Amino acid sequence: MAQREKGTVTSLASLVSAEEAQKAAKRVEGSIAEHQKELDRIRHFISDNNNLINHIQKLPDELHHDIMVPFGKAAFFPGRLIHTNEFTVLLGEGYYVQRTSKQTVGILQRRGEVLDSQVESLKAMMLDLKAEASFFGSTAAEAAEGLVEIREEYVEEHPTERMSNEADSEKPDTSSSSKVHNVEVASEDEEYARIMSRFNELEKEELETEHVDEDTDFGCSINKHSFEQLKISEGHLLGNSSLKQNSESLGQSQQNSAERSTVEILNVQQVPEDNYLRRESSPQKGTSNSTKPLPQPVKEKAQAANASKSEISDVKATIETGFDSTKAFTGSIVEHAHGLLANAASETTSSQSTGLRTSKPVSRFKMQRGSR
Amino acid sequence: MSSAAALRELQRDLENKANDLSKLQKDIAKNHQVRKKYTIQLGENELVLKELDLLNEDANVFKLIGPVLVKQDMAEANANVRKRIEYISAELKRLDRTVQDLEEKQNSKKESIYKLQQKIQGLQAGKAPA
Repeated sequence: MAQREKGTVTSLASLVSAEEAQKAAKRVEGSIAEHQKELDRIRHFISDNNNLINHIQKLPDELHHDIMVPFGKAAFFPGRLIHTNEFTVLLGEGYYVQRTSKQTVGILQRRGEVLDSQVESLKAMMLDLKAEASFFGSTAAEAAEGLVEIREEYVEEHPTERMSNEADSEKPDTSSSSKVHNVEVASEDEEYARIMSRFNELEKEELETEHVDEDTDFGCSINKHSFEQLKISEGHLLGNSSLKQNSESLGQSQQNSAERSTVEILNVQQVPEDNYLRRESSPQKGTSNSTKPLPQPVKEKAQAANASKSEISDVKATIETGFDSTKAFTGSIVEHAHGLLANAASETTSSQSTGLRTSKPVSRFKMQRGSR
Repeated sequence: MSSAAALRELQRDLENKANDLSKLQKDIAKNHQVRKKYTIQLGENELVLKELDLLNEDANVFKLIGPVLVKQDMAEANANVRKRIEYISAELKRLDRTVQDLEEKQNSKKESIYKLQQKIQGLQAGKAPA
């Protein structure tokens, strides 16, 4: 696939050397340790503060306390603490205030709040640093293990000139269809390539029917086959039996113009049913099975492409064809397709062709040849 | 021979510049320390102001001057603390500016050192094949 070639693979070790990452991790660890010390210091303050508050609350309980008064550095002498409800509190910067026990407790509690907020901010900082450290550590480990970084450019599948609502309706489609791939097919890429090529085939043929080219009978027949399926599946989903009958009768007829008109009608109806169609992918499988016994003149062509998985891919092709034909009718049709080769050229220029499709016309032809 | 002399010259130049750079870095570190000190003081002063605002008008406020506590008027203490906060804020701003200047100088020095290193490498590379 073209997508696989677009990616670039670089080893992580070439971007960041393991030693550098380890060094960075060590530095961050160091700063974490520093912050931890600071945190411990503040916690110590908090416990001191709480002890002080308790002490001060108890002091005025008695009229006086017998204490040992410190005298110099080494000596104490017995004394008595009086005026037990009078404190001189240091506010900071050399300012002292005379306060009662209650007031002092208030001051100390406010101080405790400040300390708590400091603890909180320190904790937040440490969490940040820890995240950083773990990131550096894991980067170092990954670089040492020889992990590679794969970069792939995101390819915009739908050109900007397409209408936005169409793009919106397309997005869930691609995701859901890829989901179907994942579930049903083991080798998704292979399947995807096949579907894309069929998709393009059908689309091309659709353009041909627009011009009523009688000489390309191959295109017409495939077209009819796919549209039959489309119509039938729609008929099932919409519960529209008349449509189904219409499509069955059309299966026998070779009138290209009539077919075109029904297709147009169907597409108009399909637009609002899009999401429903996607969601109901499992009942659709049953639908496709039921289409098998229906009269289809050139059905083996599609089956030859993938004998075993024809049912699945048919459903998908139907989904995608139906969808794309919607685009073709609501969007812009570039009318300069006559032969097969001319069609391919026109598709590259037409607005509905996506970057993916233009990137691989070769595979499309390969698939055509293979299916023939 | 002339290229060797030029090389020596360049190397001497580089050494001088590296010395200048390390001096600048030292200055910046010192500035940061001073800034930290002032920030702490500012926080303390703001705490004092908050407490003073909570006090009654007739509360006894003392200021520690040397070994003694001097009784101060409440209003006076308040004004003093406010002035001190203003001064510290101004000082912090000034320090910020000088740090910025120093960092700019440091960056330009680093760039010139890088250029010199490249020049020297170029000279050495030119000499090696010759």
